[in-house]
Amino acid sequence: MQSFFGLLRKIIQTGIGKTRLLMATLGLAIAMLLLLLAIQAHTDFDQLLHSQQNQNESADFLVINKKITNAMMGQPTKSEFSPEEIADIKKQSFTDAFGYITSNQFKVTAAAPGELHFYTDMFFESVPDAFIDVKNEDWKWNTGDNTIPIILPNDFLNLYNFGFALSQDLPQISQETVKALPMKITISKGLITQEFTGRIVGFSDRISSFLVPGNFMEWANQKFGNGEIAAPSRVIIKTKDPSNPILVQYLDDKGYTTNQDKIKYSKTKMIVQTIVSVIGFFGVILLLFALLVFSMFIQLVIASCKREIQLLVTLGTAPRQLRRYLMRQFIPLYIVTGIAALLVLAGLQWWASGILATHNMFVAPMLSVFTFGAAILVVLLVYIVNLLNVRKYVGEIS
Amino acid sequence: MARLRKKPGFLYITVMQIQLENLVPVPLRDKVLQRSSDIWNREVTFTPGHFVKIKAPSGTGKTTLIHYLYHIRYDYTGQVLVDGRLWQSYNKEVIATMRQQQVSVIFQDLRIFEQLTAEENIELKRVMISQPYCTTEKVKEMAARLNVTHVLSQSGKTLSYGERQRIAIIRALVQPFKWLIMDEPFSHLDNENAQRAADLIGEECRARGAGFILTDLDNDTRFAYDTHYNL
Repeated sequence: MQSFFGLLRKIIQTGIGKTRLLMATLGLAIAMLLLLLAIQAHTDFDQLLHSQQNQNESADFLVINKKITNAMMGQPTKSEFSPEEIADIKKQSFTDAFGYITSNQFKVTAAAPGELHFYTDMFFESVPDAFIDVKNEDWKWNTGDNTIPIILPNDFLNLYNFGFALSQDLPQISQETVKALPMKITISKGLITQEFTGRIVGFSDRISSFLVPGNFMEWANQKFGNGEIAAPSRVIIKTKDPSNPILVQYLDDKGYTTNQDKIKYSKTKMIVQTIVSVIGFFGVILLLFALLVFSMFIQLVIASCKREIQLLVTLGTAPRQLRRYLMRQFIPLYIVTGIAALLVLAGLQWWASGILATHNMFVAPMLSVFTFGAAILVVLLVYIVNLLNVRKYVGEIS
Repeated sequence: MARLRKKPGFLYITVMQIQLENLVPVPLRDKVLQRSSDIWNREVTFTPGHFVKIKAPSGTGKTTLIHYLYHIRYDYTGQVLVDGRLWQSYNKEVIATMRQQQVSVIFQDLRIFEQLTAEENIELKRVMISQPYCTTEKVKEMAARLNVTHVLSQSGKTLSYGERQRIAIIRALVQPFKWLIMDEPFSHLDNENAQRAADLIGEECRARGAGFILTDLDNDTRFAYDTHYNL
C-alpha cells in the first residue's frame, strides 16, 4: 500500500503553482550562479595577481615616507613621522610587520681605493634585518670591527653602469667587482674621525638606500651623533598585498608615498572588485526575489489546499508531518539547483583557466572552497527561509 | 495523572478522562439555559471505558458538543478538561498525537477525502502513525463485515452517504484509542447494516478497553450502554 506522504501527495496538490515554482527555481539558479560567479571571480583575480607579482613570496615590503612638498622644504622635521603616526600605521590591518629606517647623525665620506680617484660624501641608513632581502654571512658587525658590511641598492649600480659610466667613458662594473672593492669609509663629527673599510656584501631591490647593520648604526650614532634619537622619516612595512585598495587609500589620505610600481595593481583590482561586487549585488537581489516567489508559492499551495489540510489536521495529522511533507517537495529542488549552478561554474572555470593558460596566466582549473561553501550557505539560507514560511502558513491554518 | 513530556510522537500512557465543567455553547446560550440538560452547564465526568449515549433532540447542540469534545470548536464558556488539563493547554503537536492514538472520531458529515479512493481514505488514517495499529487484512475484514468491500477502490466522490458512513466508521477504527466519539454514526444506514456496524464498533472498543461517546436523536438498543445522558 501507499505511504502516508504518498497519500498526502494526492491531497495537497503542489502542481497548482507549477509556473511559480519553476520561476522561483530559475531565479534561484540564476541568483546562485551570479553569486558564486562573483565569489569565484574574486578568488581567481586574487590568484592571478599574487602568482604574477610575488612568485615565491607571499608578502611584499613597502618603504613609506611623507611626500615632500614645496611648503615643507627646509623644514626636515616636517617629513618625520610622529609617534602617533607610527602607532597608527602599526595598527592598520595591512601592516604585517613594521620597521624604522634609521639615518646617520654624522658625516660620512667614501673613497675608492687605488687608481679610481673616487671620493664622495654619502649617508647610511639601517633597517631591522628581517626587512632586508640580501642574505649574506658577511652581513654582521661587532664592536671593534674595522670592516663595515654595506648593502647598495641595485638601482644605484644600474645608474652608474648604464647612465654615468657610458657617458663618461668609465668602465662598467660588475656586481662581483664592486663586492671585491674595499672602500675607505670615514665617519666624523667635528674633529673626531674614524676610518673603516667598507665592503659591499649585496644589492637590494627592496630598499633604495645605503644600508649598514643596525648595531653599527647604533654604535656610531652614539659615538658621533648628537645623542638624541631622531624621529624616523622613512619607515618600512611588510604587507601581504601591496595592491590592497585600503592600503593605497590610507597612504593617499595621509599624504604618504611609496614605490608606486608596487601598488599599480590597486586600480585594476578596484575596478575588478567593483564589477564583481555589482554581479554579487545582483545575485543577492535576485536571491531575495527568488525567496519571495518561493514564499508566495508556499502560501498559494497551502491556501489552495486549506480545507484539505484542515481536515488532515482534524484527523490527527501533526503540523510537523505537514511541514516535513511540504519541505520534502522543495529540498530536492534546492540541491539540484545548487549542483547545477556549481557544475556550470566548474565548466566555466575550467574553460577560463584553459584560455588564460595560453596567455601565461594561471588560475586553478577547479572551483575554490569558498565557492562550494557559498553554494552550501545559499542552499541552507533558502531552506531556512522556506521552512519558516511553511511553519508560519501551516501554523496559521492548523 | 503525571504529565509526560509533550514530545510529539510520544505514546501517551493516559486514561484520557474527559470532564466538562459548566460547559455552555456561546451561540446557543439562551436556548440551552432555558431548558434542563444533563450535559450543558453541569459538572460531567465521562468515565474511561464506559459506553456513553447522549440523546439529543435536533437543535440542542449535539454536533457542537461533539466538536467541543474533539477540540475543533472553542466558542464555549466553561471548561473541557482532559486528564485534568484544559484542552487549550495542549499544544498542536500533542493534540495531533492524541488524535492519532488516544481519541478517534466519526463525524456526522463524514469528512471523506473525495480525491482519494475509499481504501485510501482508510489507509491515510492507518499509516498516519509510523507503526500502524492494524493490518491491511484487518481493514479488508472490517470492510467485508460492513458490506463495503466492493467500493474500496472507488473514488470518494462516487460513494453514497451510506457507503461514506461505513468507510468513516472503518477509518475511525484503524487507530488505537481510549475514546471513540461518534455523531449519529448510523444515520445513513439501514437497521441491518447499522447493527453490523454497532457490533464491530463494540468489539473494537472492548478490544482496546476503550469507551465511546455516541450522540443520537433517539433511544436505541444497539449497544449495552453504561451511561445515558439527555442533552
